[in-house]
Amino acid sequence: MKKSWIPVFLLWLLFTVLGLLLVMNTTVLPAQYSEEAEVIDEAYELLEALAVPVMALIFAIMVWGAISWRSRGADREDGPPQRGSRLIVGLWLVVTISLAIGIVINPGFVGLAAVRGEPVSDYVVEIEAAQFFWQVTYPNGATALDELVVPVEKRVRYDVHSTDVLHSFWIPAFRTKIDAVPGLTTRVYITATHTGGIDDDVNLRIQCAELCGAGHAQMSLPVRVVDDAEWLDYIDGLGTGG
Amino acid sequence: MKYIFRASVLAFVGYVAGIWLTVTIRGGSPTDEVAVIFGFILGLIGWLSGIGGLEAFGRQWMGKKPKTSPEKGWTRYFEFSIDHKVIGIQYGVTFITVLLIGGIGAMLMRIELASAGQGILDLDDFNKVVSMHGILMVAVAVAGILGAFGNYIIPIQVGASDMAFPRLNALAFWLVPPVAIALLGAPFLGAFNAGWTSYAPLSVTNESGQILFNLAIITFGLSSILGGINVLVTIITMRAPGMTWGRLPIFSWACFAASLLSFCVTQFFAASLILVTMDRVAGTSFFGPDVGTGLLFEHIFWFYSHPAVYIMVLPGFGVILELVPTFARKPLFAYKAAVVGMLSIVGLSVVVWAHHMFTSGMADFLHGPFMILTEAISVPTGLVFLSMIGTLWMGRLWFRTPLLLAFGWLFNFLIGGITGIFLADVATDIHLHDTYYVVAHFHYTIVGGSIFGLLAALFYWFPKFTGRMYNERLGQIFAVWVTVMFNFTFIPLFWVGINGMNRRIGDYPEAFQGANRFASISALILGASFLLLIGNLLYSAIKGPKAGPNPWNSRTLEWQVSSPPPQHNFTSQPRIVGHPYDYGVEGSLYAVFDEAGAGESAELEGSPA
Ligand code: HEM
Ligand SMILES: [Cu+2]
Ligand SMILES: [Cu+2]
Repeated sequence: MKKSWIPVFLLWLLFTVLGLLLVMNTTVLPAQYSEEAEVIDEAYELLEALAVPVMALIFAIMVWGAISWRSRGADREDGPPQRGSRLIVGLWLVVTISLAIGIVINPGFVGLAAVRGEPVSDYVVEIEAAQFFWQVTYPNGATALDELVVPVEKRVRYDVHSTDVLHSFWIPAFRTKIDAVPGLTTRVYITATHTGGIDDDVNLRIQCAELCGAGHAQMSLPVRVVDDAEWLDYIDGLGTGG
Repeated sequence: MKYIFRASVLAFVGYVAGIWLTVTIRGGSPTDEVAVIFGFILGLIGWLSGIGGLEAFGRQWMGKKPKTSPEKGWTRYFEFSIDHKVIGIQYGVTFITVLLIGGIGAMLMRIELASAGQGILDLDDFNKVVSMHGILMVAVAVAGILGAFGNYIIPIQVGASDMAFPRLNALAFWLVPPVAIALLGAPFLGAFNAGWTSYAPLSVTNESGQILFNLAIITFGLSSILGGINVLVTIITMRAPGMTWGRLPIFSWACFAASLLSFCVTQFFAASLILVTMDRVAGTSFFGPDVGTGLLFEHIFWFYSHPAVYIMVLPGFGVILELVPTFARKPLFAYKAAVVGMLSIVGLSVVVWAHHMFTSGMADFLHGPFMILTEAISVPTGLVFLSMIGTLWMGRLWFRTPLLLAFGWLFNFLIGGITGIFLADVATDIHLHDTYYVVAHFHYTIVGGSIFGLLAALFYWFPKFTGRMYNERLGQIFAVWVTVMFNFTFIPLFWVGINGMNRRIGDYPEAFQGANRFASISALILGASFLLLIGNLLYSAIKGPKAGPNPWNSRTLEWQVSSPPPQHNFTSQPRIVGHPYDYGVEGSLYAVFDEAGAGESAELEGSPA
């Protein structure tokens, strides 16, 4: 009667190994263009790896159950009258509580601290969201409506506001997102790591991520990451007060 | 039918009278929101009096004899019947209809999203369809299982002849059709495009359809609260002799937990919408752009709407936990742990709301605590899972449609739960929030957890409702079909979400077209499966073979009476003497019936005949 433990364990092992091989050798994540993206992706991959054995366990039981516990034809009898087992409930609690504590610590708090980083920055760029466009104001006061240009390897603080309803400032290639809230200035720090533009990667764009009305889907703005010197030239070229 | 007719006429008269009065007194146009509000209120009163609801209460308060509702015939389903079994069917049919209408919205969206660029819906229409689909489906998920199966099954499961407050029960149901009509009528006032979440300030400035949304949802909240009180009081006070809390069937426990939650938090959704309504019509500015309370709405809203996801899913837990012992022919594994798990979920679910706000710009120190509390919910949820798989373990699995759907449920809800961890983690949520990853996740939990529960319940209790058996082969084909196509539809959406596609958009960059097209085709095939479901159930309800009282050899009380059950559920008083799920336990008895008059007791056993 104890026989099911062994095949379920073997199936679990098999699924876990296959699952881990899969998540370690493939990625579902898009290209990274910022330090924050590296942190977030690391957290994602850690959670993925932790999820594998848990899912494998339930799948193993379901698969083995469907194969070998099915009652066939007319010989329907009752199963073993097992009402429960303190040992198993206890073990289960220990494992699930440990897992929960584990992920709260890492990637939980570790990731949170890493993704926030120190509140220091090389430049401050202001982002204003309105139905349905983004306005960028650079440190020299120059403004732009056609694209966001970002200096590579510099830590930039974005001060985000909204003049009407909620919007959300999201650059998928940077993985960061912060809502634009009327009456509030929200902040996010981003350090870009690679140069590029929307033609290289569709995720180099600001995309409004909070439903804001009719034009929400199209409320996006191309992002271009360039060298620091080029960036300084660019904002100078925009002139002040546009 | 005559009551429905009368109710519709009076509702219309009330609506027109409300608008006319407002316009006469205040001036302005009949489509002004103030006029609509008074029209809605008088229309609602007209509806309830037309259907006979006010009369039912009035007679009682005046000490007159209540009108009796007919015991037989299909017309009783169109009346203010106070029989919980009738009300259960009324809820069931209403919500399945709403599910199908919401499904049409889903199909429209998937057709639009099958290719990048503009298709059948323009961008704003898409937002309106998302919002309509969302709120209709949320309504089904919140009240579908509780309304239909809670009403029909709980009183019988606990050995009572009806709910504790039969009239209130009928009132709670008859509040629902006006809700549906107001929501579906909103397009005449420009519809609502702020999503089912209706975040302010967008919901303060959008078109007037929003006012109908607000009125409908406030009314629906009232209905949920009344329904919740009824379930709670019924379970607390009307259990049969001998039915201790430790012998209460698990489905009733789950509905108890969900009702407790809905009774405690539903007010908050209404409160947030009342504030929005006042901003719109009374000149207040709770959410004005200048006052710096931009996060107020989100906090109040999620204070209801996070618990709401557990109101949706707890009854789903209950259904699966209820039917697994029957089809595995084993006692429910760790019954107490499952109950403790569900009650802990009730407690924890009211203190995790801000995990929906990790990117909202709320104070930074709030992120940690809300992350801890959210991850903590995985522990009690794990207990429920343990109970399910522990019951399956080494069982004699009888793969009938309900069990197949339970397997689908396990698979889906597991994916929903695991992906929830990624959204509870602040770092990963910063990227994933408001993307298609969230869309996929919540469809796995809501459809996987609540709608699959509803479907399993539908097949499990169908013979009890109708006295007839559905077609098993078609049922099994349906179960496999929905499970597979549901996964084909939503798995690719995780990928597009992670890769940069946000939600609630009618257009997207070319790069995401492949996965979206795959999802759209799968969704259409998924939608088609419901034709099979409806066909099977409708045909079987009329022509199916007789099912007999207990086709599954279940032990709980509802299976010990005829199908459908007699008018007052029991012809003799049941007395509970054992545990409901002791399948295979030698000589175990669950209930005995004390025959009125005669001293003998009829015995029941759970073993197969
Ligand atoms: C045939 C199956 C279904 C399909 C193909 C489908 C498809 C969709 C799509 C495309 C969206 C829009 C996502 C977005 O842009 O944010 C959506 C939103 C939503 N769906 Fe479904 N859906 C289905 C069934 C359901 C069911 C059964 C429920 C609940 C019981 C549900 C609940 C929701 C909710 C709450 C939203 C969010 C609406 C909002 O953003 O305000 N869906 N669905
Ligand atoms: Cu937007
Ligand atoms: Cu939540």
